[in-house]
Amino acid sequence: MMNKISKNLVLAVSVTAAVAACSDNKYYETSYCALVDVSGTYASEKATVVNTIKAGIVPEMIPGDSLFFVMIDSNSYSEDNLVTKMTLDYRPTKANSQKLAVAAKLEDFGRGKARSRMTDISGALMLCSDYLKSTQSGTQVMFVFSDMNEELPKGVVRKFAGDEFAGIDIVAMNIIKLKKDSSNPEVYRTRLHDWEERTLNSGARSWKTLVDATKIPEYINEVK
Amino acid sequence: MNNLYFLPEMPGVSIAVWIVASMIFLFFARESVHKMIQAFSEATAGGLRKLAAWMKQTAEAMREKDRKVLLESGVAKIQGEILQEFSKIDMANTKALSGYPKLQLKLDDNLSQIERDYSECGQVSPEAPGWSEVIEAIGKAQGSASDRIIENMLSEMHKSAVDGEKKALSEFRETTAKRHKILSSMAPIWKRVEKIGKEINSQVEKVMENSRNIETYMTRYEKISAAEPESIDMLSSKVTKLFIISLIVISVGLVGAFINFNLIALPMSELVPAGVRVAGMAVSEVSALVIVALELVLGIFMFEAIGVTHTFPQISNMTRGKRKIILFGCLLGLLFLSTVEASLAVLRENLAEAKTALDISLAGSSTASAENVNSQITLIGQALLGFVLPWILAVIAIPLEMFIEASQHAFARFYTILISLLCHLANAIAYLVDGLFNILMHVFDIYIIIPTQIANLFNGNGRSADVSQGGQA
Repeated sequence: MMNKISKNLVLAVSVTAAVAACSDNKYYETSYCALVDVSGTYASEKATVVNTIKAGIVPEMIPGDSLFFVMIDSNSYSEDNLVTKMTLDYRPTKANSQKLAVAAKLEDFGRGKARSRMTDISGALMLCSDYLKSTQSGTQVMFVFSDMNEELPKGVVRKFAGDEFAGIDIVAMNIIKLKKDSSNPEVYRTRLHDWEERTLNSGARSWKTLVDATKIPEYINEVK
Repeated sequence: MNNLYFLPEMPGVSIAVWIVASMIFLFFARESVHKMIQAFSEATAGGLRKLAAWMKQTAEAMREKDRKVLLESGVAKIQGEILQEFSKIDMANTKALSGYPKLQLKLDDNLSQIERDYSECGQVSPEAPGWSEVIEAIGKAQGSASDRIIENMLSEMHKSAVDGEKKALSEFRETTAKRHKILSSMAPIWKRVEKIGKEINSQVEKVMENSRNIETYMTRYEKISAAEPESIDMLSSKVTKLFIISLIVISVGLVGAFINFNLIALPMSELVPAGVRVAGMAVSEVSALVIVALELVLGIFMFEAIGVTHTFPQISNMTRGKRKIILFGCLLGLLFLSTVEASLAVLRENLAEAKTALDISLAGSSTASAENVNSQITLIGQALLGFVLPWILAVIAIPLEMFIEASQHAFARFYTILISLLCHLANAIAYLVDGLFNILMHVFDIYIIIPTQIANLFNGNGRSADVSQGGQA
């Protein structure tokens, strides 16, 4: 009787250990969300941004990783702002085809005439956060391509929750300096500092400003 | 702090009062304080000494155990070598003796031929009896005979005698020539006999050499069986050398396994795509690892079946036929795996090329430039590497067995050294702790020296010795 119990116990422990040893791949995957500003003067940067994403982010993606491409316009917290999304297949050949397909879509967006009057960066960040959280990936990164100058339409309210960006690394890229920034750099710096403070207070894991697009692979390796 | 002063306005006096009070208190409590310090000393230094003794005992036990294992393995090895030598002798003798009847028959044939020839040489034709004297006598009588008839008769007799002598001489020469001919035909037979003699000599020499080897092994066996310290040292040195060499070879093999793993891990993700990980590794990586491990396992079984290694007695004790089946099975398995790896290596190269082309395309260049990266040399090189590495990995089975055999002694030695070091350390700490508690006791005695001396004045000098002894204890 005791022998049977001990055998069952050993079996139960072995099965538990085997199940515990098997884990979901999500923890090792990375989700990227790229936000592109199409308002005002930044609209002309679309092609540059698309090229930066194609050459900097897409090649760094490995099977299982996800990419969301979100447009920042007057009211960004809307599913319509999601230009494209993709989760790479675990087969490398299939993943390569997916990358080519998404590159084509990005190029189409770059050539498009999307443009907006106002700039709802917060809404886009919140939308991105929702998408990134839905993936449950181990690493979640947001790339914000904007001048970081928010102009919300009347009646639009944006307030981040305390854990809005929990576990997300946010990086602001290709920030174009406005006229007032050139006149007084302090304005530019204060603006960026405010964004940093807001995102970090809302649980963001890190905030960074990248000037050089070639540093993207290095940054991705750093946050992974 | 000020609360402790009896007279806050006079801190010096307060401190002096405290010191005097504590001296008096400690003087009366001196025996208890000594006992307490001794108890602390015994608890710490004594405990450490006991620990050191236990460690020494453990190290000794381990050393003894290792010595026994070394001896046993050494004796078993020599026994194996002697057995092997006996087997060699048996094989050599069987081979030699199987040819011996034939050799003997040849020798007998040659000897009987020689005997026959010799006896034939011995058959001498009868010599013409006294023909020369008769002819001489007749020749003399011929001149002196007066009778013509007698003279004619003698002349005829002389003639026939001369003819007879000539004939006898001719027959003698003929017989002698025949004998010479027989004798000359005996020469090759002598040579054959000499050759056979040499062959027998060579076989005997081989047997003698094997016997000499056995004698050497037996001397070694006797030395090891006697468990002489030199023999133990020699065995230990041999095993340590074996351990180091096998460790180096296995390390190199592991690097090879790592290269092999990296060669097939990426293409395996194409064959085994899954979103599950086992112990932090993707299923495709685990699959690649399993393939590498399988190659190693097949190598172990292959060398076991050949008889090079003896890790599994079940395989070693199998019949030759069954071992052959295992050997061919392993060879086929290795061939299959190496072919799979070669194809995976080709796939890997294709994937790498596709990735490069994609990256270039994403960067904005034309795909044509990506094709320049393509290289047949790399492809062939990777395929060859994929094919060869499994066979190289399979060979690790030999040093692996050596490593397992030698590691027991190496680890025992390492453990013994470590335990001995800890033992010395514990002893040293115990010595230090003892010293510290002794110093503490002396400091205590110095602190209460005034009340002690006063007490001595009242009680006489005899008591002072007691106090001093108490302090020492």
